[in-house]
Order: sequence, then structure tokens, then C-alpha cells
Amino acid sequence: MSEPVLRLRDLRVRYGSRPPVLDVGALEVAAGEIVCVIGSSGAGKTTLLRLANGYVRAESGELEVLGTPTRFGPDSGTDRRDRMLRQRVGFVFQSFNVIERASVFDNVLWGSLGRQHGLGALLGRFPESDRRLAMEAIAEVDLLAQTTQRVDTLSGGQQQRVGVARVIMQQPELVLADEPVSSLDPVLAEEIVELLVGVARRHGKTLIMSLHLPALAQRFADRVVGLRAGGVVWDGAAVALDDTAIASIYGSESPPPAPEVGQ
Amino acid sequence: MRSDAHTASPAAPAPPEQSLGTTLRRSTGMIALAVVVAWAWHGTGFELSRLGGSLAPLIEFLDRMTPPDLSALEVAMRSTAETLQIAVLGTFLAVVLSIPPALLAAANLTAAWIHQPVRWLLALLRGIPLLLLALMFVAALGLGPVPGVLAVAVHSVGMLAKFYADAFESARPGPIEALDSAGANWLQRVRYGVLTQVAPDLARDTLFRFELNLRESLVLGLVGAGGIGFYIQLYIRSFRYTRVATLTLVILVIVVLVEQGSVAIRRRLS
Repeated sequence: MSEPVLRLRDLRVRYGSRPPVLDVGALEVAAGEIVCVIGSSGAGKTTLLRLANGYVRAESGELEVLGTPTRFGPDSGTDRRDRMLRQRVGFVFQSFNVIERASVFDNVLWGSLGRQHGLGALLGRFPESDRRLAMEAIAEVDLLAQTTQRVDTLSGGQQQRVGVARVIMQQPELVLADEPVSSLDPVLAEEIVELLVGVARRHGKTLIMSLHLPALAQRFADRVVGLRAGGVVWDGAAVALDDTAIASIYGSESPPPAPEVGQ
Repeated sequence: MRSDAHTASPAAPAPPEQSLGTTLRRSTGMIALAVVVAWAWHGTGFELSRLGGSLAPLIEFLDRMTPPDLSALEVAMRSTAETLQIAVLGTFLAVVLSIPPALLAAANLTAAWIHQPVRWLLALLRGIPLLLLALMFVAALGLGPVPGVLAVAVHSVGMLAKFYADAFESARPGPIEALDSAGANWLQRVRYGVLTQVAPDLARDTLFRFELNLRESLVLGLVGAGGIGFYIQLYIRSFRYTRVATLTLVILVIVVLVEQGSVAIRRRLS
């Protein structure tokens, strides 16, 4: 097996003097794995993903992303080394974070900014090869009919498709998706998760996705990591995730109801 | 268990106290405002009774302005055009000069040790009156519209750069972070993440500044910095009020037309 895409050891994240929001002894994700991170709100899912993308700084411990030990924090995008690493890690956001006034095509094309250098890209001139790639990415998320439409005219599900196409355009080795469907209804949620997992499998990318609902993780992931109060309380194959496991992850509170669609 | 029986709902605790101190503290602002207005009223010797007697001289003054002397129309058009040109070019230069300090003054784009001092400098710049700048540039460059253009440009930067910086700061951080996570550099994040989001705000701020510049440019002629102000001053001093009337009417029409156009464009941008 090649070296892990993500490796955490004795890693602790803490804000101020409060108890740590993340405290993980050891966690490794291998190349090509589809991993879902589940747990209640505040269990540390977002912190874990943002840590892997360099937006959250650890208090102590070791963190390796794509074989590179990371020490970088927020606002360090101007640092050349961080920029190069960040370009290899794609991120799909809970709130889509698309640029609303721009077209679908531009939003997707701008996913390639990490590999654009010089004045051309600042003046809006992109290589023809990247413009063609953008069309392919838009086709892959099934938004060709909306290519030239402004993103703020699209529905939430369509906006997240733009977010997915933007990550395809970026061509990262690792894709992180932070609650990508929590603001969508169950039908759309399932569509987007299926799309993301499909994209990751077709392009041979590693996908780490946090989800509020265990049912979607069970259905689409290879492996599920359960977080509770900042610690990993369950880690295993998605098929092994049973009611007992779910109860141990979500504690005494009952897990959120599974979506009724497509079950 | 509650012993005092006067509360209607036994579950709710007593409301917060209302003391005389709280009432006074809440009135502090109003009292301070009243003091300031009284100070100004007294200081300027403002008396309502004097306003009554002012009506007759006012009518006489207006009478001396009518009918407008249309022979001044040509001068009025030509010098108003110059004022308009000063406002246009001054605003254009102000836009160019404002973008770099605005980027440096935006809290979401630079560190506090950069944007704080830049904001102070802009505030300082706003404190310099337009006429003072115009005098300085006339002294340096001689009479004519060129010092006027420069005075308008420099004078506008203090406000325009601050407005631009505020607009940059109003950009939603999420999309900028998304570009950052795709590996975009600082300039690319500014260009695609920030400017794309706030372009309508920048256009609105610029048009608003242009309206202000047009009105403020009217006085530039007083210090020889070009435009219609020179002739207004000339005709007032030589008591040719019917010509002043013509100039005033032309200014009125231009200012109203420009403001209507500007407002219409700004509304479309929102």
C-alpha cells in the first residue's frame, strides 16, 4: 500500500481554554478510500476536515497531508509551499461558497486558479485546455444547460453541483467535503452524495466527507469514522455500521432519522 | 415557594430593576445633543424673530436676478462643461488612485498592522478641504482646470478608498476561501473572489463620488482652478445678477440631469 493520504497522530485541537474539540490518537486514510465521517453536531467533523485543509491549527500532535507534514494555518495562502499543497486538496463546502454573480462556467473554470500563473489569468484569459476541461466538468455534474447562467439563479442542489464541478476542475488528489448536503432536502442530498462518490471513484481520488446522517454513509462509503466529543469512537467498514455502532457514536440521543427516499 | 403574592405568574422571576440611574444613563445621548445644539444656537446669534424681516430683501435680491441675461448663456455652457470635465477626469483619476490604498485598507485582505494605519491616513486625507488642495495645486501649476482636476482627484481618494475598502470587506468570505482552497494566490482571490462579488458596490460608490465631485467642483473657480465658479464670482462682484441667474439655472439643470442619470444607473446596479 502506498503512503497514506492523511495521517494524524496524537492530534489535539482546542479553542481557548475550553476542552479540546478534536483529540485523535491515530487516524490514517489510504489513497482511493471513500471515507464518511459521522457524528452529532459539535463532535469535531468540521474541525477534522478543516484541519486537513490547513484552515484549523492543531495545538499539538502530528499531521501529514499527502505525505507533507503541515504546520500551516489560515491566511497563509500567499505562502508558495502552502499554495502548492492546497492546490492538491479540494474542498466542497456546506454553504456551497460559489461566487453568485458569476456564471456556472466561470465558477468551474476558477477552480483551476491554483495552476494559473501570470497576468493572463488575472485578465480572464485561461488556457484553451482548461476551458475545455471546465466544459467536461460541467457535463459530469449535468449542468450543461446552465453553463452560461449566473449561479445565483440556480437552486441549492444545482449550486452544490457547481461546487463539485469546481473541485473536478481543480484536479486534486484528496477531496474533502464538509457536510456538503446538510442544507439540501433528502432527495437532493442523496443525489449530491452519489455524485461526489461517483466523481471520486471515476477519477481515482480519495474522498473524506462529513455527514450528519448515518444512512447515507452506510450506503455510499467504503469506511465510516464515528466522532463523538472530539474523539474517534468508531472506525470500520461501512457495511459493519449497525444500530449498536450508531448508538455508540450518537450516544444516548437517537440518531437523526434516515431519509425515506430511495431506502 | 413564593411568599409575595403580588406576582401574576408564579413561575416568572422578578423583572430587572428600573432605577433613576438607568433612566439618566439612557438619556445621556439626548442631553448631550441638546447641549451641542444650544451651543451652536447661542454662538451664531440665531434668532427666529430676525427671519421675518428678511423676506423683503430676499425678494428684492431675486428681483435683481430676473430676467436672466441670456447673453451669458454661452459662457455658462462653456464653463459648466469645463466644471463637468473637471469632475469626470478628477473622479477617473480618483478611482485609479483609490484602488491600491483600498486593497491595503480592507481588513479581510491585509493584516491589522497594514489596514489600520492606511485607514488613518485616508481619514487624514478626508480632513483636507478641497479649496485648500486647489490653492496648493494652483500655486504649484498655475491657473486653469488642471489644478482643479488634481484637487478633485486627491480630495476624493480619502472617501472613495474608504468606501471601496468597506465594499471589499462586505464580500462574503466563503467564496474567497473556496478559491483559496483551490490554491488561488492573493491577487487571484482579490480579482475573482472579491471584485466579482462587490463590482456593483464599487460602481455605485464611484457614481456617488462623481455626483459629489460635480457639486464640489463648482467652487473651484473661486481660487482660479477652473470651471463655472470663476464667472459666478466675477458676476457677483460686478453686480451683474441677471448673468448670475443664467449661470445658476444652467448649473441647476446639469446637476439635476447628472444626478437623475446617476441615481437611475445606481438603482439598476442594486
